[in-house]
Amino acid sequence: MELLGTIVGITIKSLIFIVGMFLAAAYLTLLERKFAGHVQQRPGPLHVGSHGLLQPIADALKVLTKEDLVPDNVDKFLFYLASLLAFVPSIMILAVVPFGEPFEIFGFKIYPYVSDVNVGLLLALAFGSISLYGVIFAGWASNSKYPMLGSLRKAAVLIGYEVALGFAIAGPIMQAGTFSLREIVEAQQGLWFIIPNILGFVVIVFSVLAETGRTPFDVQEAEAELVGGYVTEYSAMKFGLFPLAEWYIATFVLSAITVILFFGGWNPLPLLGWLPIPGFIWFMLKLFAVFMFFLWVHWTVPRYRVDQITELAWKVMLPLALANIFIVAIWIMIFG
Amino acid sequence: MQFSDKKTNLWIDKNKLEIVKKSFPDVKVEEYENAVFIHVKKDKLIDFLKFLKEAEELQFKMFIDFTCVDYPFHTPRFLGVYFLFSPEFKQRVGVKCWAENNSLPSLTGLWKGAKWAEREAWDMFGVKFEGHENLVRMFMWESYPYHPLRKDFPLEGIADTYLPSLNLRPDEIPAHNYSPYHTYVPSMEDLEETEKKRIQKKAQIVLNWGPLHPGTHGTIWFLFDMEGEVIKDCDIILGQLHRGVEKIAETRTYTQFIPYTDRMDYISALCSQVAFVNAVEKLLGITPPPRAKYIRTMMCELQRINSHLLWLGTYALDLGALTIFLYAFREREKIMDIIEGIAGIRLNSSYIRIGGVAQDLPEGALDVIRHFIKDFPKRLEEYETILTKNRVWLRRNVNVGIINEEQVYQYGLTGVVARSAGVPYDIRMIQPTDAYGEVDFDVPLGKVGDCYDRYLLRIEEMKQSIRIVAQCVDKIEKLKDKKFIASENPYVIPTLEEVYNSIESMVKDFNLRIYGEQAPEGEIYLSGENPRGELGFYIVSKGEGHPYRLRIRSGAFYNLQIFPELIKGRTVADAVVLLGSLDPVVGETDR
Repeated sequence: MELLGTIVGITIKSLIFIVGMFLAAAYLTLLERKFAGHVQQRPGPLHVGSHGLLQPIADALKVLTKEDLVPDNVDKFLFYLASLLAFVPSIMILAVVPFGEPFEIFGFKIYPYVSDVNVGLLLALAFGSISLYGVIFAGWASNSKYPMLGSLRKAAVLIGYEVALGFAIAGPIMQAGTFSLREIVEAQQGLWFIIPNILGFVVIVFSVLAETGRTPFDVQEAEAELVGGYVTEYSAMKFGLFPLAEWYIATFVLSAITVILFFGGWNPLPLLGWLPIPGFIWFMLKLFAVFMFFLWVHWTVPRYRVDQITELAWKVMLPLALANIFIVAIWIMIFG
Repeated sequence: MQFSDKKTNLWIDKNKLEIVKKSFPDVKVEEYENAVFIHVKKDKLIDFLKFLKEAEELQFKMFIDFTCVDYPFHTPRFLGVYFLFSPEFKQRVGVKCWAENNSLPSLTGLWKGAKWAEREAWDMFGVKFEGHENLVRMFMWESYPYHPLRKDFPLEGIADTYLPSLNLRPDEIPAHNYSPYHTYVPSMEDLEETEKKRIQKKAQIVLNWGPLHPGTHGTIWFLFDMEGEVIKDCDIILGQLHRGVEKIAETRTYTQFIPYTDRMDYISALCSQVAFVNAVEKLLGITPPPRAKYIRTMMCELQRINSHLLWLGTYALDLGALTIFLYAFREREKIMDIIEGIAGIRLNSSYIRIGGVAQDLPEGALDVIRHFIKDFPKRLEEYETILTKNRVWLRRNVNVGIINEEQVYQYGLTGVVARSAGVPYDIRMIQPTDAYGEVDFDVPLGKVGDCYDRYLLRIEEMKQSIRIVAQCVDKIEKLKDKKFIASENPYVIPTLEEVYNSIESMVKDFNLRIYGEQAPEGEIYLSGENPRGELGFYIVSKGEGHPYRLRIRSGAFYNLQIFPELIKGRTVADAVVLLGSLDPVVGETDR
């Protein structure tokens, strides 16, 4: 009975998370478009609904009702699989991301996360890496030159930043002594981990931008060079899943993980703990700030060349991540 | 108002002609007011050009242009015309040589820049070049049977391909009375053959980069032979936008041709018009009134800023900086509005007329321009804040596509591309037309010759253009003479007001519009500094209302030619940067 209750509970919760993420992703597109518009001194979406509020729904309808063209020469199985493989794992990271402390409503204890596994962070990293196969499959299955170049570039970038990313998250884990994201947050009730881990944070920013394919590192779809990169042959919703997964869901979820690792998760800002703001809101505020930071970078800087990214990853980011581990180790020796 | 005419004649002087005659006594010299040609026999051509290039006291080492002229009733039929420039003495010379047996020796050993020009001559005239490494067509596809610029080729083309699909409807319900015959249309096999003739696959894949590709700024078809992402070999197929402007010119009067110049380099239409009209005016002996001269210079410089802004926006867009594009277009829009207010048309303005400009400046135009030049430097600073010291920008630009001085002379590079290599080749300085002699400006020069230098130079040129515009605005305001077109000259079309008010003007208007400006017999080569390099017009007049031959020396065409050499060993990502910094406009490369 208890098992059944757990299963039903997790199913409902997952559904809420997935549907919520879909809606959030839809409105993140609007947020990005509005933000980009104002960065570029134009209004952004304006006419569908008040101030373009219904634009995401119109977009979704458009993408869903478009003709789904599949070129003759593609490997059909991989071609279909690729768009799912890019999308599903990035939404699966949500399974381990906690959005707040457990709280009670009407006598029910509600946990604002799907599961709290003790290897949560590792799972998140693993899912993030799997979603990369989507890109690589897409390039290979398309049987076309531009997509293949795009996915090769992504593979080259992947090898660079994954290593640095792995070392960069070692700092917070050492301090918290656990892989569980919830416990990492609880360990930051005093000082946030950003203080000794500042170098690790820099590496994480680099890795998130590279993983989500945002501007200084968006080599895999650089439209001036490779037309559409790995999505050149895709159309309709199969195409729509790629940017949705990479640009919105992955950026959102990885921003959440950044907040959890470095900015104290749902802990209130220092000296503002007396405000009657629930932890969930604090978390969302921080998440929003980090997400907007990534957008800001995206819409400002030019793009690196692919060899320069790997150079940056191996020659700058990896030593920084290692230095971060060293600093944190000394920090732990001194302050415990 | 006095306009200094001191340095406007760039042609080879008497002393140098004496030197030439001493070494080659059997050459003939053909002198016009604005062009000097030396006739050479075919067998002496290479030796003679080598002498011009290497002799200490001549040093005509910069290749400017090569073209052919067709004289169907002369044997040999085709006349090759070469233009060379001496950067040392700032002098030009033209060399003419009859193509006996329809062939000429290839110059590719002396100047690499002759490669494409000779291919174009083969394509358009069917003149063969002995010793050319790969004499294939330039604009047309392989297996195209004709040579369109020959005089016996009709303007409308030869309809020899049977296309029944044009008349598929049954006879009872005819839709249109189309002829089922159409001019030659390239088939897939033709295009494949065109590709095969240009590049042979040696590395892993041949990537067709273009003709319709967001990175190629138009319809240039690049062929990259790539090893991974590194380009091992490259060639370019041009001609997707080839409209035969030079052929059209032979059937239009000089005034009628002005709109066609707009549509060549559509980004900087006014500069092309001014370059063409200046050449025609020199040929006809017209002096435009001072007000027109200042207006032309001012409009040219506004157009230059406009063109450089479009370049900046698209260049940054190619490199992934999306926001700069919209910032640059914000200012470009203001210039577009100014041009629209003055000329009535935004892009292809057709504002310049032979003898002046089409209309006087409208009331308040100068105030708007003055406001713009006050506001613009701040905006320019904004762009520079985002880009100039940006680490990513530096990494992508510095030391990419380095051009040296020797390559400038070899390929005939002009404009910003030449100046980035430190060659002070600016037509506005060495042969000032219009009011360029009366205004102060600097010509910035690069040190390294890479893409970053070209970026800095274009930014600096915009600042200099602002300076020129400001001076022109002040001068125009002080000018008492309100005359904007020299309509008293017999070759200049009168203004509308004059046509309505006097019968003589009406007759003159009719004559000029129907029969054209009956230019005296003669030849001229005159160029203007387009934002994309030297835009030269070589006009051969036989005393008719239209040119016998009009050759357009396009800066973008010659600048693009160096692309394959610079891109070898670099990646696709660098191709975008390099192409952006060479800044070709396909309307001008293809003509």
